[in-house]
Amino acid sequence: MKILTTVKKVVDVELNIHVKDGVIIEDGLQYVINAWDESAVEASVRLKENKGAETTIVSVGGGDNSDMIRRCYAMGIEKGIHIDDPALANADSSIFAKVLQKVYEKGDYDLVITGKQAQDTDSGQTGIILAAYLGLPCVSNVIAIEVMDDKHIKVSRSGDEGTEIIELELPAVITVDVSINEPRLPQMRGIMMAKKKAIDVMDLSALGISIDDVGGAIPKSEIVEFMASKTRKAGKKYEGGAAEITAQVVSLLANEAKVL
Amino acid sequence: MAKVLVIADIKQGVLKGSTVELLSKAKAIGAETAVVAIGSNIESLIPDLAKAGSDTQYIADDPSLELFSAGPYAACVVDAARQYGANLIWFGFSESSKAVAPKVAAQLNAACATEVIDVKLSGDQIEAIRPAITNKVIQRVKVNTKQLVAVVRAGAFEATKGITGTENVVKLSPPPPDLKALIKKIVSDASGEIDLADANIVVSVGRGAKDQAGVDLVKELAKDLKAGFGSSRAMVDAGLMAHNKQVGQTGKIVAPTLYVAIGISGAIQHLAGMSGSKVILAVNKDPEAPIFNVADYGIVGDLFEVVPILRDEIKKIRK
Repeated sequence: MKILTTVKKVVDVELNIHVKDGVIIEDGLQYVINAWDESAVEASVRLKENKGAETTIVSVGGGDNSDMIRRCYAMGIEKGIHIDDPALANADSSIFAKVLQKVYEKGDYDLVITGKQAQDTDSGQTGIILAAYLGLPCVSNVIAIEVMDDKHIKVSRSGDEGTEIIELELPAVITVDVSINEPRLPQMRGIMMAKKKAIDVMDLSALGISIDDVGGAIPKSEIVEFMASKTRKAGKKYEGGAAEITAQVVSLLANEAKVL
Repeated sequence: MAKVLVIADIKQGVLKGSTVELLSKAKAIGAETAVVAIGSNIESLIPDLAKAGSDTQYIADDPSLELFSAGPYAACVVDAARQYGANLIWFGFSESSKAVAPKVAAQLNAACATEVIDVKLSGDQIEAIRPAITNKVIQRVKVNTKQLVAVVRAGAFEATKGITGTENVVKLSPPPPDLKALIKKIVSDASGEIDLADANIVVSVGRGAKDQAGVDLVKELAKDLKAGFGSSRAMVDAGLMAHNKQVGQTGKIVAPTLYVAIGISGAIQHLAGMSGSKVILAVNKDPEAPIFNVADYGIVGDLFEVVPILRDEIKKIRK
């Protein structure tokens, strides 16, 4: 089984994010691997270890992604592709999906695994749009994978009415939730080996396409402004004897907040 | 004239609140409205669909559509959108919506926006407002296509009192099933519990509850309040709460009138899921827990001591 896994370098959401004049202030930002993609990588490596799958990661945009790609190598991924190009600066999910489509078509993959969303955009679209462009079956929000045979996998999806059990015919695309696994920490041996591994870096023309091939320089959705989120103010904290403070708070909820 | 197609949110044969909220917003921005309803044995919902504010109802009613499957559901939406000539296609928040909306957008070659909290229309120009980076910033998104497919956040729009519509039914032919993504079964954990998405009060349990006994104790509080019962990610990972009970960035984003966080520390991913609640009550042993930064009322204490007292006091008030 050949697996293509997408990884995105994203801003570290644990840090404070500041907005000024409609843009996010770059100063002080740190970048990490998207948590959902990290789970996608872990899922791929487990399929390699348990089922002998061949694993390739692809990252689109983001500038120097070598740290992130080498981290994936250290986790056990065999090959890494990075597509970057100034023309992708304003790319939206559909443009990323088109680039990924071209990468997929250049290989011979049975399964594409993406994280269900990226923690910078929180969009959750790219994997699903990619599947639509490729004409492949897709299941999103996957929380468990079971290989049935060369051509079929069974996945569990966290859906509205409970856990959905779906049989997928390969080739297919799945998007995974973080709850699917706990990604391993790269070990020293993996880290050392990763340092020497090559990364296949290409711009759009090296990939054999132009910006027009991927939907043009104008994205379907364009972020024109960033604004600060309204922060919620802390209310009152009550400390003391449990009986008194609880009674006090319940009274406030009923009479002041009027929510009981 | 804008034409909004709302995808009816139907769960276990019941029309959910997001449908009337989305239709209300549509009418408020001066658009014509239609709904598309997909499922099996849903014809009885037609009067409700009209009353919710739609002037045309596209109905895809077939046994093959009983269980959710992204491919066929997307095909129904695309069919309705094309027949109606919709330029705005709106889904309420649900896992099904998140799976279907991008697929619909790809087929229509339209822009797609998720987690939408507002939509603005200026002539033909569409803009969407949405949070990003785990709720830390708000984006203003310019749509460069003639159509926008949007998944709207729970509670983003308000239902208009007295809204109504007209019955004008168009039957859709059922699409072929997706044989390559065959839904075998759904392991339901609902068991008649209150849906988190439209509960007025939500009580969530976190790591502080420790084990099943703790979870059961907090569940009793939820029952007393007739509240939806949710969870932090920690308790889902521990196998003590079902996946679809998770409130947070990777689970459900809720905005009830009252949110009660019991034994939850307040990681930003959890806050992203509930900070839109009207009033927040938090109970935590740690006075420094980040949850207290967003709680309107914070009780610092051991939940095993506090929750029984909460239950008593609430019962007294509600007598």
